[in-house]
Amino acid sequence: MRLGYVLRRFIFLIFVMWTAATVLFTIPRLSRVNPIRERFAALARSTGYAPKDLENIIASYELKFGLDKPLPQQYADYMGSVLRGDLGVSLMSYPKPVAELIGEALPWTIGLLLVTISLTFLIGTAIGALAGWPRSPRWVKGTVTPLMVLAAIPAYTLGLLLVYLLGFRLKLLPMGGAYSPGMVKALTMPFALDVVKHAILPALSLILAYVGFYALGMRGMGVTVQGEDYVNFAEHKGLRQGRIFYWYYVRNAILPQVTSLALALGGIVSAGILVEGLYGFPGIGSTLSAAITANDYFVIYGVGFITIFAVGISMMAVDLLYPLLDPRIRYDRK
Amino acid sequence: MKGKLTRREMLRLSTVIGAGTLVTACAGAATPAPAPTTAPEPTKAPEATQAEATTAPEATTAPEATTAPEAATGAEVPRNRTLVLNHGGTGGKYTWVGQINPVGGMNHQEGGALLWDPLFYYSVFADKDIPWLAESGTYNDDYTELTIKLRAGAEWSDGVPFTSKDVVWTLEAYKANEKIDYHQQVLDFVDSVSAPDDQTVVIKFTGAQPRFKFEILSFKFDTGICPLPAHFFEDKKIEATKINEEPGGEDMPHTGMFNVKMTPEQLVYDLRPDWWGFKTGFQKEPDIKRVIFIPLSDMATAAQRVVNNEADACLDLRPTLIRTAVQQNPKITTHTGKDEPLGYIDWWPNSLWMNTASEPYSDKDVRWAINYTIDRDTIDKVVFLGAKITSVFPYPEYPALKKYLDQARPLADKLGVSKFSLEESAKLMEKAGFSKDGEGFWVKDGARVNATIDGFESIHADIVPVLVEMLRNGGFEAAINFGNDAYQNMADGKPGLYMFGHGASVIDPYATMELYHSRYSAPLGTTAGGNHFSRYKNPEFDQIVDDMRAVPPGDPKLNDLFMKAIEIYWTDMIDVPVIQWLHRIPYNQTYWTNWPTQDNPYLNGAYWHWTFPLLVMGLKAAQ
Amino acid sequence: MELAIPTTAKGPSQRTLVLRYLRRNKSLVLGLALLAFLLIFSLGGSLVVDTAKLAYPLAAVPLQPPSAEYPLGTDKDGRDLLAVMIRGIQLTGAIGIIAGTLGIVIGIVLGLLSGYFGGVFDSVVRWMTEVLLTIPPLILLIIIAGTIVDKNKVTVLTMALVVSILSWVGPTRVVRAQVLTMKERTFVNVAKLSGMGNIEIIFKELMPNMLPFLVASFVGQVMGAIGASFGLEVLGLGAVREPTIGMTIRWAQFHSAMFNQWWWWILWPVLALIAIFASLSLINVGLDEIANPRVRRTE
Repeated sequence: MRLGYVLRRFIFLIFVMWTAATVLFTIPRLSRVNPIRERFAALARSTGYAPKDLENIIASYELKFGLDKPLPQQYADYMGSVLRGDLGVSLMSYPKPVAELIGEALPWTIGLLLVTISLTFLIGTAIGALAGWPRSPRWVKGTVTPLMVLAAIPAYTLGLLLVYLLGFRLKLLPMGGAYSPGMVKALTMPFALDVVKHAILPALSLILAYVGFYALGMRGMGVTVQGEDYVNFAEHKGLRQGRIFYWYYVRNAILPQVTSLALALGGIVSAGILVEGLYGFPGIGSTLSAAITANDYFVIYGVGFITIFAVGISMMAVDLLYPLLDPRIRYDRK
Repeated sequence: MKGKLTRREMLRLSTVIGAGTLVTACAGAATPAPAPTTAPEPTKAPEATQAEATTAPEATTAPEATTAPEAATGAEVPRNRTLVLNHGGTGGKYTWVGQINPVGGMNHQEGGALLWDPLFYYSVFADKDIPWLAESGTYNDDYTELTIKLRAGAEWSDGVPFTSKDVVWTLEAYKANEKIDYHQQVLDFVDSVSAPDDQTVVIKFTGAQPRFKFEILSFKFDTGICPLPAHFFEDKKIEATKINEEPGGEDMPHTGMFNVKMTPEQLVYDLRPDWWGFKTGFQKEPDIKRVIFIPLSDMATAAQRVVNNEADACLDLRPTLIRTAVQQNPKITTHTGKDEPLGYIDWWPNSLWMNTASEPYSDKDVRWAINYTIDRDTIDKVVFLGAKITSVFPYPEYPALKKYLDQARPLADKLGVSKFSLEESAKLMEKAGFSKDGEGFWVKDGARVNATIDGFESIHADIVPVLVEMLRNGGFEAAINFGNDAYQNMADGKPGLYMFGHGASVIDPYATMELYHSRYSAPLGTTAGGNHFSRYKNPEFDQIVDDMRAVPPGDPKLNDLFMKAIEIYWTDMIDVPVIQWLHRIPYNQTYWTNWPTQDNPYLNGAYWHWTFPLLVMGLKAAQ
Repeated sequence: MELAIPTTAKGPSQRTLVLRYLRRNKSLVLGLALLAFLLIFSLGGSLVVDTAKLAYPLAAVPLQPPSAEYPLGTDKDGRDLLAVMIRGIQLTGAIGIIAGTLGIVIGIVLGLLSGYFGGVFDSVVRWMTEVLLTIPPLILLIIIAGTIVDKNKVTVLTMALVVSILSWVGPTRVVRAQVLTMKERTFVNVAKLSGMGNIEIIFKELMPNMLPFLVASFVGQVMGAIGASFGLEVLGLGAVREPTIGMTIRWAQFHSAMFNQWWWWILWPVLALIAIFASLSLINVGLDEIANPRVRRTE
């Protein structure tokens, strides 16, 4: 039964990702904006200069990118090449391949988001668990309320305030970018420290904005778990408090946290886009915003597909965990 | 139950993720970085010879310069020999890494200009031609032929001599490749190119072309072409029709005085001591040994970096921003020192353009009515904090153009071009058959005038909201469109007004008037790219423009022709001229002095223009 | 599942009980109080201040710090920030409420039907929600708002409609999951055995039990919609001429209000945004305590 379900779920996932990809492919094409003309428009407003024979140049580029073909054909061509692992070339940064563009941005985002998400999760869960534990000191329980207020502020707004205070005013941390001018990009300690220093503010904006979310969730679950028979049983058995806290209370309450972690991925990725833009962080979010402004189809698709893939896989993982969490739910057919 | 196992796995997974993060971050940073392996550091040698570079006590300088030592940790060039610019990039990254082919993916605005030498430069504020790879360029008497003498000893970065063969090959390639800029002009204007000897090129034109040398062969602003390395393309067997697809790579042979090391996060240009210009004694080595570009995200951040002395200059700032920057750091000055307007005039004066081929903008009374709603004094006061930036000209107020504009000013006053009067506006609208509806908007046949202004937020966010309210006060239903369909709307000639510039005339009035020639009046339903949005049609006007074309710049015959043309431009109000375009660039004098200013106007300070190498030559080390 | 809203109890007066309950549920009280303040400020304010004029450019002397004439100051384009805040809270709230309502209504219908009946319909709904959940929300919204929405005509209503493209997904999932859990519970089985029809079970047994979840989900969607529209607005994809909170922050940021030390331009909208989100999230936590009474024990 299990294996059959996993297989069904996997096929479903592929189907879902394919639909999502199709939706993504179609939407930008509903716009009547011509990205190549926009490219020259951008050129014209940054340079004041507009080529005299613009329309000819546009036409020959459309031919080159296959944008003159009917849309279904373009769809088939493009999906085919994606399956072959070719994401095409960027229209704006022609002749740069999309895969290269993403390859340059992705490590930064993965680095930032992995650190952020894991720290948020660990800190939030720890605070939540302690806050929900009846024997915790009062001030520990009190931390939840300020965290809740923080959670009410969008990460972007937090970032705005943080960069102003710590960057502009106090000059404690860099205001943006990836590393200091003149730094040589290499696997050296000074470089690594410099990168970390530049990542603190963007990471902090996200962590502060989301930590309350996990703390609240964990506290809620923790309180629920306390009422469960096995915890009462453990208490009556006279087990040590620390042991109960960890083995019976945290271990049981943490599972739904994992679920909500995966479900929040999309949200954090979204917030990451805004925060990256705010700090000029060279990640995938900045790449996407720039691509959308420029209607750079193939970059939009490339970034979109990669996020869909990442989110889709994590969602499937969650879905497979779901029946384990609540045995009352059964997916198998009767 | 299996649940327990899964839980344990999940926990382990989360710790693994945590640890993996650092690895990913470092690995990600490391993989695309061949930097440490590349040995040649051409800057080292000359630096050692320069005594003041090593003795300059870096630590004794201004206390704000905290970033200098840190930035220098990985580099051999000290901060006081480095020019740091906060400029460009897309999404926080430079996207043309490894592509220095000037007809390919190179971006000359992000320092690419340092890699390529033109035949000639033109400095607009000095109003001066500066022959570079060429020694001279002379037209024959009727401007049908141009003879170029090349400088002896010029060579490509790979040591191959630069000769007339390269120039001939380049022009032929421009004729053959339809995907590159200037293809059409070169194809239309150039009949044949020949190379009588290694240092001489003769270009025969299809007719009189008194502006070819200036328009095509000179680098100024963002325009002009440079010779390409014929041997590079020939060795790689790349046909002329494919040269735009060649990335080039960082070591593509170039003539410019810099080499580049690129990462998406940063561009580092290092001076080549073996540049032909130094070897032949044509130029002296500049103080700048290295130029670093870091990507721009937020203008306030850029301004703050210049204030902090982290960057020496950045992209031009909005009026309020540059005011604050200049106040916050005594070392920051501008083209006009510390005085308003804190900048200089760019060649892109902005108008409200209209599609003059479609209703209701086809009625010149409507266009004049729109003009009358614009209160230019208020714009100067509100948007530009008192500086006189509004304009009645589609021309930049440049030295070479001044005499023409001065001559036309009385005419503008007589016609009332700069007059603000809602009554006059209303009179014209009534004359055009409009009446006001219940909400106070002009209507005719049940339709309001669509006065939505298409524009670009990054550059128009100051002025357009103000224009919108002025138009609404005058009864035009105005709104803002900063969407990414704005340019498309302009090109398609959609209803509405288009905020856009004229990147045209610089040395004589011809180029701007040529924008309104009937040959660009695309029929409705087709696109009109470039800045040919007006779709204006007037045979009388065309004749004047055609006559101007054959007259070389500086010829007195141009004066009368210009007066005739501008009179038509104003009486027909082809577009509504609004403002001069200003570049407000902060120059930080902490490390670099002798920036171009109005008292020392050797150049315009836009380092993102092709003329950047002239700025590099001009800047002097402060320490 | 037992619901502990003590409104039907006898003994001490109903008012006393509600008050007693509210004293324990501090989050809800605080949230409601904050919400009441926002409502009074924005709805009452528009009776006093001519927001139709003053909240738009060229209505006041630009860049005035707070003073007697302009209590909250003015921005660079000459908007009176008091009027901007009054109107902004209304508009921002409107986006949230429109999108939240649409979301919850669609969510209830789809969630109930798919959760209860299962089958092909369930598969289709699941497929649609999965597709939309797989694309990170902001990415989808940015692409929609950035490419196909006619920028000339972006109004507050358009913004609301754009963000409601996603606001039904959450409620649908919540309702469906609840129905799935409850379906297996005893009280539904009892109802089935007692001969209740499907529709009757849905409306008489499932819906009342889900009410707290629904209200919480609605509040959540309002927050989500405001958050999403805020995201679009700071990226420049909002209703350009309208003084929503998000657009105000965007203009302040765009004109570098902080660098130029025009603190009042950025402070008020940030405070308003925090107040809006804080009130909604406090209400949500309070509702959660009602829906999930065990949580109450710690406070």
